[in-house]
Amino acid sequence: MPHPPQSRSFGVLTPLVAGLVLAAFATLPFWAEKGLVFLAGIVLVQIVFALSFNLMFGLTGLVSFGQAAFFAAGAYASAWMARSAPGLPFILSIAFGAAVGAALSFLIGLVALRRASGIYFAILTLALGQLIYTVIGKTTALGREDGLIGIARPVLDFGLFRVDLATGDRYYFLLVVAAAIISGALWWVWHGSLGRILAAIRQEPERVRFLGVDVRRHRENAFLISGTMTALAGALMAPWSQIITPMIAHWSYSALPILFCLLGGSARFWGPAVGAIVFAGLEHGTRNMTGMAELVVGGALLLVVLAMPGGILGTLARLSGRLAREGAR
Amino acid sequence: MLSEVLPTALNGLVWAMSVFLVASGLTLIFGILHILNFSHGGFVMIGAYLAFTVTNRVPGTASVAAFLGIAVACAAAVGAMGLVVDRVVFRRLKGVDDSYSLVATYALLLLCEGAVKSGWGGNFLSMSPPEGLGGALFVGDLFVPSYALFVIAAGVAVYLALDLWLHRTASGRILKSVALDPWMASLLGINVTAIFTVAVVAGFALAGLAGGLLAPNQSLSPALGGTYIIQAFGVIIVGGIGNVRGAFLAAVLLGLVDAFGTVYVPEFPGIFFFVAVAVIILFRPQGLLSGIR
Repeated sequence: MPHPPQSRSFGVLTPLVAGLVLAAFATLPFWAEKGLVFLAGIVLVQIVFALSFNLMFGLTGLVSFGQAAFFAAGAYASAWMARSAPGLPFILSIAFGAAVGAALSFLIGLVALRRASGIYFAILTLALGQLIYTVIGKTTALGREDGLIGIARPVLDFGLFRVDLATGDRYYFLLVVAAAIISGALWWVWHGSLGRILAAIRQEPERVRFLGVDVRRHRENAFLISGTMTALAGALMAPWSQIITPMIAHWSYSALPILFCLLGGSARFWGPAVGAIVFAGLEHGTRNMTGMAELVVGGALLLVVLAMPGGILGTLARLSGRLAREGAR
Repeated sequence: MLSEVLPTALNGLVWAMSVFLVASGLTLIFGILHILNFSHGGFVMIGAYLAFTVTNRVPGTASVAAFLGIAVACAAAVGAMGLVVDRVVFRRLKGVDDSYSLVATYALLLLCEGAVKSGWGGNFLSMSPPEGLGGALFVGDLFVPSYALFVIAAGVAVYLALDLWLHRTASGRILKSVALDPWMASLLGINVTAIFTVAVVAGFALAGLAGGLLAPNQSLSPALGGTYIIQAFGVIIVGGIGNVRGAFLAAVLLGLVDAFGTVYVPEFPGIFFFVAVAVIILFRPQGLLSGIR
């Protein structure tokens, strides 16, 4: 098994560091330049994307290689809705994006989880994802290969007062709040009864089946939640980047959350978030050197997969465990 | 009627043989090592760039013989890279989860792309077919580029050579026995680690050969590696992963499905490949032929 059955806990350190990271994200516009704020917004969306993906990958061990299809479904559906019905409240266009992602992940999960497992599940989801990528790139209402451009940042209408998210860094703060809420919800699912049943299925599918648990139903539920949350991340990104192209449905975009999970450590809830932040740092640091970004990211990834099987968090936990043992001696 | 069907069938077969050239090495490595090598397309791309550079730098390489010679040299060079990759990466991936080897080899694909970008730049490059393959033939009313016929012939030749090697020679049979049961093979005195290395080097050499042979067919760019690998994945999964005969059959089947689909539904070119892959995996998850053959 790739994942340690019982991962060592960092204790009080986890909420402390998570709070510090959240504070850093929330105060970023006050001390960082504009380019970095934009990047941080993208990273926040990618954290939600990767945490949603890991609900499936980390807890069931199944690799969905078509996750970008749900991300794109959410982004395109919400942007299309906001454009077709300009007066519609922002929350409804976001909800529409999530609903389309939910419908799509329900269908794909129903089909893919019925027959395929392991490498076949990965390739089947890859094929279905590429199918959606091709359809988006050839659909005129979705802008074909050029995508949708000039997506407006919305105005929130609270009745008594209105908040125009197009001014300043307001949409960024909305992203911080939304990412925190969605991550909290995912944390609750991961540590709740569904998460624990899935973890049990991953270790002993036969034994869990004997206990009367419908294994496939639970995997389908996890796939549905994972796909819906991914679509929500996509719907949140569209007004931030203000342009979406079919590239967000491409298989290489589906590879991103897998990289984040393995880089940070897929056995822990916060692993993918760590992976997304480290990955963005690597890419940002090498952005001006042709070919260097791929060499550094590829090299780092290879090193982590070959030498640090638990990812960054798994390795840190092993090191801290060793330190604690030596301290006690 | 026939004049409409034949060009489409020809297009489908050219696509099929191009993808089979890429998929053959991929399925061979999976059959023996059970590693789905994401970087395979990256090494095909490196083979194509090497062929491009040698053809442009060295004078007098415009003939068909020189073209074939360069493709074989690319196969040797990429095969040597396979030796290094086997030592450094693949040996550490034994027994790990599929997703780990998928990501480790995806990292290798990124390294290939980075190497191509820093070596050749990110611009599109192109090379023309050698003299003698640049023209076209007329079969009745049918216009057939000679290079298209060459690609089909090359695909069939590589398939026949691989099939003969695996089924009719002693070393091929040893390879198959290791694929079936490495532990039993080692008890019979077969050096299993050496056989693994042979399979990896052969698979990488096939990637280099595919790159050299297919280089004139497309614009070379660092995205080439990722383009071919997805099609090759579909072909080897549909064929029965690890099965060379299955990959050949699947390439022909999917190539024809996609070519005819694109003619009848021109709004969504390329969509039928993915539809066919998804449907076949659903109803026959083990592929058309299973096991190593």
